[in-house]
Amino acid sequence: MKRIKTILIFVLPLAVGLFLAGSCASARVSMKTGAQLWGENCMRCHNTPSPAAYNNVDWATIGLHMRVRANLTAEETRKVVEFLQSAN
Amino acid sequence: MKKLQLLLMAMVLPAALAVAQDDPAPEPYKPSKTQFMIRGYGHAGLEFIKNEDGTESTFVGSTFAPIFLFKHNDRLIFEAELEFSFEENQLQVGFEYANLSYILNDYMTLRMGKFLLPFGTFGERLHPSWINKFSNMPLGFGHDGIAPSSGTGVELRGAIPVGNAKLLYYAYATNGPRLNTGVDAPDEAGQIHYDNFFDNNNNKALGGRLALLPFANSSLELGASAYGGKVGDRGDSLYADVGAFLYAFDLSYVRQVGFLGGTVDIKAQYNNTSVDKATYFEPETDTTFTPYSFDNQSYSYFAQVAYRPTKAGSNALKNFELVGRYSFLQTPEGAEWETKASQWAVGINYWLSWRVVFKLNYQRTIAEGGHDVPAGVTTTTDGVFIHWAIGF
Repeated sequence: MKRIKTILIFVLPLAVGLFLAGSCASARVSMKTGAQLWGENCMRCHNTPSPAAYNNVDWATIGLHMRVRANLTAEETRKVVEFLQSAN
Repeated sequence: MKKLQLLLMAMVLPAALAVAQDDPAPEPYKPSKTQFMIRGYGHAGLEFIKNEDGTESTFVGSTFAPIFLFKHNDRLIFEAELEFSFEENQLQVGFEYANLSYILNDYMTLRMGKFLLPFGTFGERLHPSWINKFSNMPLGFGHDGIAPSSGTGVELRGAIPVGNAKLLYYAYATNGPRLNTGVDAPDEAGQIHYDNFFDNNNNKALGGRLALLPFANSSLELGASAYGGKVGDRGDSLYADVGAFLYAFDLSYVRQVGFLGGTVDIKAQYNNTSVDKATYFEPETDTTFTPYSFDNQSYSYFAQVAYRPTKAGSNALKNFELVGRYSFLQTPEGAEWETKASQWAVGINYWLSWRVVFKLNYQRTIAEGGHDVPAGVTTTTDGVFIHWAIGF
């Protein structure tokens, strides 16, 4: 019973979150540039990478990898990759 | 001689021009839709250790951890990591993970294979040596650690914008941990092992993590994780029903702070492991055993802070980073592997580039018990670590 309660503690916020996600849009992210999102999100784990470190094709692959690993949103990933490709 | 040179040029030049005219214009570069990349990281260093047994110094590492990425298309990516290192003069090869991720939609990704478990954040995101601010892991992680690192199974994960905040979710099923009953290693009876490529009991362990990034700039992340399932072997009359439940809380705060003139990076994680009570047997002779039991609860935690003067006027100064960490580990009283350890670590890092770092760390570990140490005996170990690490 204790474990079921513990699991519920995790599941309920997820359900609420999914409900809220359907009704709210992240206005802030949609207004941010790729450069801003690059600075904010990469730094959560490591230094911000230099755009010159990889070519456009590499950045597309790395962007997909980081989307999964860092659990970035689709919009964050698209904007960051576009910024890195435009600045390298 | 000059005439001869002119004669040769007159003969060769028309032929060269004819060849050049026949060559079609080079086509513009077209990248393939699939792409294979090798990335990864490596590190090496020099370590000085001083404890009750004396002082030792050694060069260590030359660890090489290649990460293989194959992007099949914009939705499908395969990742795998191997880790090559030397331990006790032998080459060790670690199979860290190998999994396939498929983007189902903007909010959901499916992964299958062996993957780093999102149990807190250290194991999944912070352990690579070019990301880790220190030369080693905090207590509770790695060898003799209590926190899981990877599992084989299936996972759903995603990020959901919630107003200005963001919610991260992870839900997974794996083969789960396995109980060490002490038959082969009596001094490890009651420990659980996480590298379980085959399910030992048909009971899939379930786990998940929820994290909230409440601020629009994603500077703060607060997470909670849980992972549980049966850990005993199927058909084992003594241990088949033994289960384990693990949970963790984590915190991350990274932000440029104006009045400090630089970036502050704070990370913390608390891990708790609880295994159902069971009876284990300590060998007295080859044929006689003494049964014993203990409350199988372990916990560990760490908190670290790093400061880098990224707003400094001097480029050299900007590359320095001051780091500090405290970690603690408590394993069950009454277990053969009972230990209570605390550790302080401080250091200065110098970043040659965004992914190359030199680390100078000093660390003091005070431990009671542990492997090969009689219960009640306290040991103090001081260490100085000079490491470099690179991510590529």
